[in-house]
Amino acid sequence: MATKAENLYFRRSVMNAFAMLLSLSAAVIGLFFLGWILWTTFSKGLPALSWSLFTTTTAPPGEPGGLANALVGSLVLCLSAVLWATPVGIAAGTYLAEYANHTKRGEVIRFVNDILLSAPSIVLGLFIYTIIVRPMESFSAYAGVIALGFIVLPVVVRTTDEMLRLVPTQMREAALSLGVPQWKVTTNVLYRAARSGITTGVLLGLARISGETAPLIFTNTNNQYWSFSPNSPMANLPMTIYEYSKSPFEDWQQLAWAGALLITLFVLLVSVTARIILLRNRVQND
Amino acid sequence: MTEITLSRKPSTAQADASALQAKAKLTARNLNFYYGDFKAINDVNFDVAEKCVTSLIGPSGCGKSTLLRIFNRIYSIYPGMRAEGQATLDGENVLDPKYSLNKLRSKIGMVFQKPVPFPMTIFNNISYGIGHYESLSKADMNNRVEEALRQAALWDEVKDKLGQSALGLSGGQQQRLCIARAVALKPEVILFDEPTSALDPIATGKIEQLFAELKQHFTILIVTHNMQQAARCSDFTAFMYLGELVEFGVTETMFTKPTKQQTEDYITGRFG
Repeated sequence: MATKAENLYFRRSVMNAFAMLLSLSAAVIGLFFLGWILWTTFSKGLPALSWSLFTTTTAPPGEPGGLANALVGSLVLCLSAVLWATPVGIAAGTYLAEYANHTKRGEVIRFVNDILLSAPSIVLGLFIYTIIVRPMESFSAYAGVIALGFIVLPVVVRTTDEMLRLVPTQMREAALSLGVPQWKVTTNVLYRAARSGITTGVLLGLARISGETAPLIFTNTNNQYWSFSPNSPMANLPMTIYEYSKSPFEDWQQLAWAGALLITLFVLLVSVTARIILLRNRVQND
Repeated sequence: MTEITLSRKPSTAQADASALQAKAKLTARNLNFYYGDFKAINDVNFDVAEKCVTSLIGPSGCGKSTLLRIFNRIYSIYPGMRAEGQATLDGENVLDPKYSLNKLRSKIGMVFQKPVPFPMTIFNNISYGIGHYESLSKADMNNRVEEALRQAALWDEVKDKLGQSALGLSGGQQQRLCIARAVALKPEVILFDEPTSALDPIATGKIEQLFAELKQHFTILIVTHNMQQAARCSDFTAFMYLGELVEFGVTETMFTKPTKQQTEDYITGRFG
């Protein structure tokens, strides 16, 4: 009997070592390419960084130019998208977690939201193109903001829903047992408990759209100049990187690398911030 | 100790209530409760004496928590759950939809199994509920918060850190904070749903000591898994089994000479 047990143990140790090897190599492959991408971005982008990037606007090839209008434009577009999608997303997520949990309707909405979450961004861009850009007969910043917002929206809905459902039921019951109405319980108690998680969701949404190019191609396009009008295209970083990287001009290519590095750093910063917030105020849940 | 002999039969309940020296604060009359199609409480009748501690004991799943949760209608937040019959507070049926939840929950407070402080400061945990019913000046609110914390025997431990998050307190302190939060609304009844089952023996001891103080001001109904706790802290004990109230009486009598075989089997540890 002992030998049978030993055989079994040996076989399991081999299987264990094999599975470990597979998962380790998968992790190494993933990290290797991530490292490579970061290395390329930094090694090509760092030399292209200069103060004039932030002070001068995009210029014709051969002339000294920067990315000031594209950086500011991207910031305006992304923040506006987050600004409309966040309240809508939190409201929808709250409905799912607090009012429609365990209902058929809630399940359907959750499922549809998951589809929106994984919808290709270019499809969202085409959708906005069809319903807004075509009837208006012009590309515009607000069409871009709407398209970008539709990428943030499902992320916020999902995280709000999940974070609220992580709040222990007893906390709801405790607050309701004080006679406080449900809407007050949700806004005063549950949002506090889920705050760090929801903030993280919003930040991850922001990180996701800051590099999105596809939804902008059909909605906002790009602008070489300063523009703050919602009715005309606004300069933005992803489209500028896209156009400049395709161009044959050395100085434009340099600007594209610098832009790529800036986006990467921004996304990194936002993700790290999100992670820190989540770690610091983890939802009390056991 | 008040001498009472309560029977489960509704016909005699009236007479029994008059035998109580203490007034019946809460009563259950032909009370049934359903989780969807499942009947969890079957025709329960009993009285909770005013300013006494009454405990509900019984094996897991016997319906004691379910019974407790009927009295402040906390079950009503879940679809598919419903109560039939009467549960009265001072003679008024609280199950009547016309009985306002706001009024009910200001009169009947509740403390739960796991301590659940709100994610806010210690002070705000207490003032939050008060603020919903009364608008007090800052000084008055400070007094109310202090009074509630003193009643929950927590004041001395937290008076220097009222502005800190309540999540930093120990489990036992958190549970006393939850008691203070319930007490702060000046309710008439406080329901405790296994209030010490998540706490260590020392924290449990402190909470058990509190019951003696709290019953000077409040009517207390406790669900407990711990028979010694029921024996130590309560004036009356109700034994439940399979959704029925098997026996109800003065705690001492229940634990020394129970009249039903099932009660005796349970308290002597033969099942449960």
